Amino acid sequence: MKRLALLASALILAACGAKPPPPPTPEQALALRPADARLAALYETSCRACHAMPETGAPMVHDRAAWDPRWKQGEAVLLDHTIQGFNAMPATGQCATCTPDDFKALIRFMAGREDSAT
Amino acid sequence: MISRRGALIAGGTGVAVVAGGAAAYKVATGDKPEPPSPPSVNADGKLLWRNWSGIQNAYPAARLAPKDEGELALALKTAQGPIRPVGAGHSFTALAPTTGTLVSLDAMAGVVDWEGDAAIVRTGTRLGALGPMLAEKGRALPNLPDINKQSLGGALGTATHGAGAKIPALHGDVTGLRLVTPSGQVIDADAEKNPEIFQAARVSLGALGVISQVRIRTSANRRLRRRVWLEPFEEALANAEARWAQHRNFEFYAVPFTGLAANISHDETDDPALPRGPDQDTEFLEALKGLRNLLGFATPVRKAAAKALLSTAKPETAVDEGWKLLSTERPVRFNEMEFHLPVENQLKALEEVVRTIEKERPDVFFPIEARRIASDDAWLSPFHGGPRGSVAVHAYYRDDFSFLYSLVEPIFRRYEGRPHWGKLHTLRGQQLAALYPRWNDFLAVRQELDPEGRMLNPYLRGLFGLT
Repeated sequence: MKRLALLASALILAACGAKPPPPPTPEQALALRPADARLAALYETSCRACHAMPETGAPMVHDRAAWDPRWKQGEAVLLDHTIQGFNAMPATGQCATCTPDDFKALIRFMAGREDSAT
Repeated sequence: MISRRGALIAGGTGVAVVAGGAAAYKVATGDKPEPPSPPSVNADGKLLWRNWSGIQNAYPAARLAPKDEGELALALKTAQGPIRPVGAGHSFTALAPTTGTLVSLDAMAGVVDWEGDAAIVRTGTRLGALGPMLAEKGRALPNLPDINKQSLGGALGTATHGAGAKIPALHGDVTGLRLVTPSGQVIDADAEKNPEIFQAARVSLGALGVISQVRIRTSANRRLRRRVWLEPFEEALANAEARWAQHRNFEFYAVPFTGLAANISHDETDDPALPRGPDQDTEFLEALKGLRNLLGFATPVRKAAAKALLSTAKPETAVDEGWKLLSTERPVRFNEMEFHLPVENQLKALEEVVRTIEKERPDVFFPIEARRIASDDAWLSPFHGGPRGSVAVHAYYRDDFSFLYSLVEPIFRRYEGRPHWGKLHTLRGQQLAALYPRWNDFLAVRQELDPEGRMLNPYLRGLFGLT
């Protein structure tokens, strides 16, 4: 019984730890940039025009609640949707010179994830 | 566009509720699935390029993003043709697709200098980013198009425009430009220096080379009062001319299958800012789509329901700097045809288009836009020789848009319209020559600057009548 209680506590703690951080405010979203300068330039020219503007309906940068359901689809699906366009998302996010690796890095940044999608 | 009909939100929400209730099944089944896409990578390992609406695509052999004019000149001199400059990919026509080299100026952006009140701007600058750059100096572009995601170069190259009977399209405010030719030559041009190249290049579809920067007039960054209000379509038609004369910016939208129109005006004011509220475009369009899906089989019922639901909408007012109000988000993608008509023909053409769509195509639900644009003298400007009245017809990106060609374009052509260069049309060669008095002069400059046609993809060859 004691073991079960410990296990339950651990699960509760794990669940608390897994809780996504709160979404950024609109001002914080506007200020966010990837750390890498080249990636930041690509982000600023293309992705930011929608993913830092709440009125566009796009999932906001670092908004885990908006991104997590998408993240669960896996990197390959997200990459295809990015390159091909999907619903309101225009093809390549209007970045004509981004490579697939750029897109993967930009998706990871916007989704607030450092690990790969699974 | 749709947020300019923010006055309709109350009604739109009501429709959405209706659509989301007992008839949700019908609404859901009335929607088409996401159109099929070409693969992300082709058999040769080349990455897909696709335009904003998704109907144009290509697998370019190379993609270049020069950082300065030196790199750009070298790229144009050595790159595999067809070489096509691309901005945000907002054109619906096949201006950008190439199997050769796609050139993006995303790395050549920003305001680099000022000459009095004219800004020297690199053409890779996105319009949305240019607003705050100019505002830092208390200046603004005199006008903006509905969407501000485009690059300045792409907007100029296709004669992109806003709404305002006394305000020209964006290229009308360009007083000088720097053109990098396919041979790598860098040419400065304005009304005095290389004037023929200047008049040819101001609207040139990326066919003469790549314009790396322009000198563009700006105006004081004034606050504007924006009003959006709804009224019967017949009243909007009757009052349109007076409103174009009265307001700094005025446009209206005929909302098909509703009997209504939405008016949008902008006028300068010193009143304190009253920012525009959250954008409701998507909800409004979903409401119109819901009406289509539920009642598309019975136009009189659809109209009656729409009028009952939308007529309670309250006018909307906002006050803010112009660059924050004149463009809006367009989260719902579409395909579009827009022609620029002699002003005396504009409203007649609009009426006929609305009547034809309501008779023949109950699947259409996007509003139809009417704007007025001042004249300029660029050779391929649709506004060359006099002001024009534009009419723009949209089709949801998942819907069939063939009616634009079969039903709408014949009306526009009968009323002597000139097509928007970035929007759908079928005109080619001699048909265009008949509409543009300096057409052959433009072709002569093109031949001189690019004798081997390295900037021409198959679409442009056909457009210029060179195949």
